[in-house]
Amino acid sequence: MKIQINARNRAYQFSTVAGEKILYAGLANGINLPYECGSGTCGTCKARLVAGDIADAWPEAPGRKYLKQQGEFLMCQCVARGDCSLEVANFVYNMDPGACTPAACRGTLTNLRLLTSDVIAFSVELDAPRDFDAGQFMLVQVPDVAGYRGYSMVNFERDAGRLDFVVKKKSGGGASEWLFGDAAAGSTVELFGPLGSATFFPALAKSILCIAGGSGIAGMMSILARGCQEHYFDQYGGNVFFGVRAFKDAFYLDELSRYRNEFPQKLQITIALSDEDVPPAAGQRYPALAFEKGLVHEVAARHMNGKYQNVRAYLAGPPPAVDAAIRVLLLEAKLTADNIRYDKFS
Amino acid sequence: MPSNGMRECDAGGGLKVLVANAGEEYFACQAVCPHQEVALCEGLYDGSVLTCHQHLWQWDIRSGAPIGLAETPLECFKVEVDGDSVYIVPPGALNVGELFSGIAEKTLSEINGLAKRETFPQGGTLYNVGDPAEDFFVLESGRIEFVIGRDDRTSPAGFMLRKGEVFGWAALLDSQPLRIAKATCLEPSTLLRINGKQVLKVLEADPGSGYVVMRRLSSLIARYLAPSGAK
Repeated sequence: MKIQINARNRAYQFSTVAGEKILYAGLANGINLPYECGSGTCGTCKARLVAGDIADAWPEAPGRKYLKQQGEFLMCQCVARGDCSLEVANFVYNMDPGACTPAACRGTLTNLRLLTSDVIAFSVELDAPRDFDAGQFMLVQVPDVAGYRGYSMVNFERDAGRLDFVVKKKSGGGASEWLFGDAAAGSTVELFGPLGSATFFPALAKSILCIAGGSGIAGMMSILARGCQEHYFDQYGGNVFFGVRAFKDAFYLDELSRYRNEFPQKLQITIALSDEDVPPAAGQRYPALAFEKGLVHEVAARHMNGKYQNVRAYLAGPPPAVDAAIRVLLLEAKLTADNIRYDKFS
Repeated sequence: MPSNGMRECDAGGGLKVLVANAGEEYFACQAVCPHQEVALCEGLYDGSVLTCHQHLWQWDIRSGAPIGLAETPLECFKVEVDGDSVYIVPPGALNVGELFSGIAEKTLSEINGLAKRETFPQGGTLYNVGDPAEDFFVLESGRIEFVIGRDDRTSPAGFMLRKGEVFGWAALLDSQPLRIAKATCLEPSTLLRINGKQVLKVLEADPGSGYVVMRRLSSLIARYLAPSGAK
């Protein structure tokens, strides 16, 4: 089926196969269609059907609340049922020549392990190696649960045969509950990606500031992995703020300590505990890390005050935490919007 | 309204506007983000820059000019303050678009004087490939489709336009006398038709404004020609 997309600047044509979501087909063709979550919640990939027929795989998708006009639909949820012509009210360009073009792939779930009572880590052994950029995510579809979920990669390597993820359990969140169940290990999962624009490249040549809540630390781990591999923190500063409710909810503290110990001069890592005073054991067990009580964006704001020159910020976590951090960075720190990177999942 | 605060107001007739305070002054603009129709009153405002919280598009509250990531300007309204009341004056399409916003008022009103408002039915053709490019158009309402190529070898050119956007701008160039696309109305549309040569003459008399318009025109053209990955 042929898809014709009229964007604000030009037209694009590409083909889809039966059952293929229009967004994924366009992205796989190297066309940078607008999207953020890619999984039906954010509404960013909305388009308007001009001609043709589409089928909506998820008519109850929360992202549909952003649809205002007749004929609008979410490209991440819809498949074409014949040749279609669409309008997208954005400037749309081809991806950079060096970009990791997203594609569908498949892998096996391995290495599932609880990091805390409600956070699980796992790996996907890919059928064929993939490239991704630090800070990107994959859409993952597990058996028995309809639809994709976006999970950020924790690791970073080129030609990765294995992707590491970390997921927080959400009650009623079908995919996350399934991952905590017995059926997960050894299962085959479908993936699409890599996606996301909150990416880090060493050519950035700025200090980086990471503010993450809960499992939002995943993408930051990938950024730290790349930064450390390339000795980025020999030259540029790194400030990482990781927010959790209590000390028992924190994870990856050994990995974070290792990164800090590699670059003790320029890399600072602070764990913010929102709901309890810092227990004395925290600093004794993890002397490389700083611990502080408070909401993660407040702790970050205290530490960063007056240190925002030449900074690129990466944000991830629950939407209220990300919004609060954006507010601080825009209004108080006066960072420019292009130096605040995050992928909005809702 | 708090100092350096903002509020969404109902201006009557279903028109919602965002009214913002900046010290002694008040400004008014469209109430929803032109990107995803998010309510701008939920965004961030520091007394000069308005930010949509959804994707961080930003604008100068005084002019509606886009800053940073924003791809299009905000529609702004002229404001008159009388005691406790703020009145707004809706703008014409010419003031909304990027090409002419912010140029000298006298020049803008002269260009406005050259504009003829025309209404086209659905399916109406504005011009064909090879037609002389004498006039350019500013979209007031409706939707326009562009097709490039000749005879059977045609292909849609894309181009979604918003209110206030200019097309057929070959009429503003010296060496592009012919249309390179066919323009058809996809729905009933209202346009301002403006003669390119006459506008150039007006701009010659006000080189300051002319310079602004030419800079905007060149960046507009560059944006349509932008290579992959460019924003």
